[in-house]
Amino acid sequence: MDQKFEGTPHAEIRLEGRKVVRGDVTHDWGLRLQWEVRRNGQVIATPPARLEASYEHADATPGAYEIVLQMWKYVDYRKDPAGEFVNSRFIDISNKVGYTI
Amino acid sequence: MLNFGNEKVPVCHGFTRRSFLQAGSAGLAGLTLPALVQQQVAGAVADGKIRNCITIFLVGSPGHLDTWDMKPEAPAEIRGKFKPIDTNVPGVQICEHFPLMARMMDKVALIRSLHHKTGATHENGQRWMMTGHDFNPDSVKPHTGSVVSRVFGQKSELPANVILPSPIGNTGAGPLHGQTAAYLGSAHEPFFVNADPAAPDFRVGDLELPAGQSAARFDSRQRLLGQLDDLQRRTEARSTQMHESAYHRAFRLLTSPQAKAALDLAREPDHLRDRYGRNTFGQSCLLARRLIEGGVRYVTVNHFETVFNLTCWDMHADGGGLNNTYLDYERHLCPQFDLAFTALIDDLQQRGLLEETVVAVLSEFGRTPQVNARGGRDHYPNAWTNFLCGGNIRGGQVVGSTDKIGARPSNNPIEPPQILASIYHGMGIHLDTTMLPGPGERPIRLVDAEPIRQLF
Repeated sequence: MDQKFEGTPHAEIRLEGRKVVRGDVTHDWGLRLQWEVRRNGQVIATPPARLEASYEHADATPGAYEIVLQMWKYVDYRKDPAGEFVNSRFIDISNKVGYTI
Repeated sequence: MLNFGNEKVPVCHGFTRRSFLQAGSAGLAGLTLPALVQQQVAGAVADGKIRNCITIFLVGSPGHLDTWDMKPEAPAEIRGKFKPIDTNVPGVQICEHFPLMARMMDKVALIRSLHHKTGATHENGQRWMMTGHDFNPDSVKPHTGSVVSRVFGQKSELPANVILPSPIGNTGAGPLHGQTAAYLGSAHEPFFVNADPAAPDFRVGDLELPAGQSAARFDSRQRLLGQLDDLQRRTEARSTQMHESAYHRAFRLLTSPQAKAALDLAREPDHLRDRYGRNTFGQSCLLARRLIEGGVRYVTVNHFETVFNLTCWDMHADGGGLNNTYLDYERHLCPQFDLAFTALIDDLQQRGLLEETVVAVLSEFGRTPQVNARGGRDHYPNAWTNFLCGGNIRGGQVVGSTDKIGARPSNNPIEPPQILASIYHGMGIHLDTTMLPGPGERPIRLVDAEPIRQLF
């Protein structure tokens, strides 16, 4: 049997200054949990979010920042010739928060 | 026809009983009795204070250099892509993708000098680690849980030896994976749950009365069986009498609230189910804890049942059916293991069960020190890392070491039978005094090795 993943993970996140804080993840699939940090729409960091419930991005380059919590969604292990997954991907599992520097 | 679990092997070898059951398969509860519930035969050892064991078997086998025996000073093609992190044991580092485990390394004893000298097939490694013996097709050896079942029997209405979620299937080189009772007989075959605990409709379907069968009618059939047992007990051999207990155990298991409760994950709070991970492996680990609580002595959790065409530890990166890579480790395998394993250890400890339960994390072999041309690593039985905790095992230590590229043990080399001997010892079993009835009922040691003394 291939692995099954129950439900859909979800968490609420909030900003405290420039620090983003997450609540517990419900229906946690147990796969990689990460913050996706964007500046002016471009992904600039994807640090892990499993161990700590908060994260503050150190880079203070001016711009519009947006952060969301993501989890890996396993569909299958197929990969393209470059080695990247074809169907499996990271999905957003939280609301988005943002700030401007 | 009604069965327990997925175990379809009838155990009714006696002519009279077989005839009886066949005739009664429609009229007498439709029951095909599984092997697992046959009563232990004579010669069992007194229980004493024998602990339990949960074995997590990582089918496919993680690369030791990418997980628990990292070599950050080695060349890039050896050390791989991941970085080590500190743990709560000074001087002991593990992979960055096990951050939760790093916080409980004081409970874990890493064994970094494990190796075996037989062929690098998954099946060889499985048989070594499941039985403690090299493979001999003329003398297939029993699974460790079956040995425990044979020597100590059941301690509740649940089977002594359970494997979940399903037995190891196709891993490339034959059907023998060391997860059978072998010569110990059908009475000690593992009980295979054979259902996915992460599925919304999870149930061990064969632990249900057949449709249209009322409990009262079932009870009356059980009484009838009991009367026939009485009659036959007076006329038949002892081997047949052993079947009597099997039948009664089968009935008890089928109607046991204890068994049904142990298998009912819905009784767990959502936050705890989340803590283990809402996936097949995580919920299997949670179920393992429930089964231990319910009286199972030995639970094996197979992390995957095959190595083909799915994300698993077998990271050949071959571009085809064995195409696991570092991305699978980083995004899927390591996080999944990290969450479930640490949840299990925390949960056992909070319930006061960790000292009563050895937790063994085992695999078939290591993976090649040199990353292959496609970015994967291949089978490598010359060195790997497994680990033990719980029971009376002393955590926060590392047994043995490998050379600077993880190619060979450089200190205190350990072979699979020593791991099995250590599991037995950790369970409180004295290997010098506790014997197993071998073929022909002659007493034999449970495993031909001594425990690793450093662990205790």
